[in-house]
Amino acid sequence: MKHCRTFEHTADMGLEAHADTIEELFEALGEGLAEVICPPHQVTTAQMRVLEVAAEDIEALAVDFLSAVLNLIEGQRFVPAAVKVTHADSGSIRAEVSGEPLDPSRHRIEREVKAVTYHQLQVVHEGGQWIGRVILDI
Amino acid sequence: MAEKFQGKLEQIDANRWRIPRQNRPDMRVDGIIYANDALIEEAISGGGAVQVANVATLPGIVTASLAMPDIHWGYGFCIGGVAATDVEEGGVVSPGGVGYDINCGVRLVRSDIPAQEIRPRMKELIEMFFRELPVGVGVGGPFQFARGEMKRVLAEGARYVVSKGLGTPDDLAATESHGCLEGADPDAVSPEAYKRGADQCGTLGSGNHFAEAQYVDAVYDAPAAEAMGLKEGNVAFMIHCGSRGLGHQVCDDYIRAMRSAPAKYGITLPDRQLVCAPAESVEGRQYLAAMRAAANFAWANRQLLVYQLRRLLERFFGRTAESLGLRQVYDVAHNIAKIETHVVAGRRRRLCVHRKGATRAFPPGHEELPDPYRSIGQPVLIPGDMGRASYVLVGTAGAMEQTFGSTCHGAGRLLSREAAIAKSRGRKIEAELAAAGVVARAHGRTGLAEEQPDAYKDVEDVVRCVVDAGLSRKVARFRPMGVIKG
Repeated sequence: MKHCRTFEHTADMGLEAHADTIEELFEALGEGLAEVICPPHQVTTAQMRVLEVAAEDIEALAVDFLSAVLNLIEGQRFVPAAVKVTHADSGSIRAEVSGEPLDPSRHRIEREVKAVTYHQLQVVHEGGQWIGRVILDI
Repeated sequence: MAEKFQGKLEQIDANRWRIPRQNRPDMRVDGIIYANDALIEEAISGGGAVQVANVATLPGIVTASLAMPDIHWGYGFCIGGVAATDVEEGGVVSPGGVGYDINCGVRLVRSDIPAQEIRPRMKELIEMFFRELPVGVGVGGPFQFARGEMKRVLAEGARYVVSKGLGTPDDLAATESHGCLEGADPDAVSPEAYKRGADQCGTLGSGNHFAEAQYVDAVYDAPAAEAMGLKEGNVAFMIHCGSRGLGHQVCDDYIRAMRSAPAKYGITLPDRQLVCAPAESVEGRQYLAAMRAAANFAWANRQLLVYQLRRLLERFFGRTAESLGLRQVYDVAHNIAKIETHVVAGRRRRLCVHRKGATRAFPPGHEELPDPYRSIGQPVLIPGDMGRASYVLVGTAGAMEQTFGSTCHGAGRLLSREAAIAKSRGRKIEAELAAAGVVARAHGRTGLAEEQPDAYKDVEDVVRCVVDAGLSRKVARFRPMGVIKG
């Protein structure tokens, strides 16, 4: 099971995800970020992009992975509908992001996210659950 | 949510508060917050004061960790923060001290158009701006640069686009640093950043960025206003935006690249978002080279926006820009780090001055000022909120003595975006603004709600504080007439 919600933060917005596995946690965070920018119900899963990211610790990995998702949207103009993590450990991740190229006539971009920040960043395994919190600079 | 400041805070005078370095063993200098009794409360409870103390721990910081009265919480550094480090003595540069929107800034164009002439047609004008200026999330602009041209934009800033006929030499003279920071390296900017900025040069973006028609409603310093061409009752146009996705990506890339720098250079940080490296180190030099490139992109961006604005106004009035008196007053950066020479304790020192949500405010006589402003001081452009007022100030010798030639940058946010949206429920912000004589248009369901006047401090309080503290002098006040937001 996985779940992601947004929460209010001073000037911006945060993402908090809960999941049974680390893979699902990253899926929930990735899909949560995509949903903040472009609602996924508007997006088909016509194409796939593979993201492979490595970092020095799991929290840095969360920022780098979400930054890669952000780059798919902002840099490559590819909007995600779903994220499938095929491998994740404390220092690396491989994810298959299905979606399609941005089409302004069908996709409504709700928000511009400047960056995924390190502020109050948290990825923990507690009581059998994975919890991740990140704050987005809007 | 925000961390309330619990330490010792001393009032120096009516407009300044000190966080003594003795508060924490890791503070290298005092923190000084410019605020009156009302403004300091938000700094304490809103998290800004804690961040001022955190910045005071950075290696090489000189004099004090400073905050202007529009202080509010930011990533790592507070917004409204000014921090200068001595580059010859291991002083650091921190991407968090500039922020994600590198060279976010303000440009002001004056006109000879009387407010009463334009007011009956303001709705029509704002509709035209909203329709024709590239504004809003994901909206690209009409200017496409090939890769080689984009590298020149990053190296030469506004100078490059003016060389293409998209502006005048006078625009460059009336721009901080002439619209170009030397030492920019386009090759220090990642391919991802190029991609994010590819079609964004000449676009306004979203968030708190705007283009606004306003009129001069009060003149406080007649000679300075005259030098800037500001006349009571006449209209001016203000643009607020930055380096768009390119700048966001440069900041993100270099925070990532610097993640290992604190351990490498033996720096202990109270907040991961304050990541930094000595300004003279490989990491520091690379960031500065990329940050300057992004700053140049921002100056080119504002130049292209003003170019489009002039063409629209020519069409709207059926007259030339020259006959409308559309002359640029000035352009300021308020998110930037610059290497500047300042006198500290009687000695000239080369400093890396971070201004994050703070504006350079050089005094009369400063060599960097263009001739028309040499005798009056640098114009400082202070956007307020879209319902109340904006200001033009000038820099002073007091700013050089106290704040490395810096002052405030705006009204300063008071409410979170979500809180602002909650406060707007059941209200029609557009109608409220219209009742106050302001035509407002924004993309998105929440744009106006997030940016409503109540979301900001009163710019009058902020300006009074910097003037009373001797950091700036008032020149003119502007009232909003019409605004477009992303």
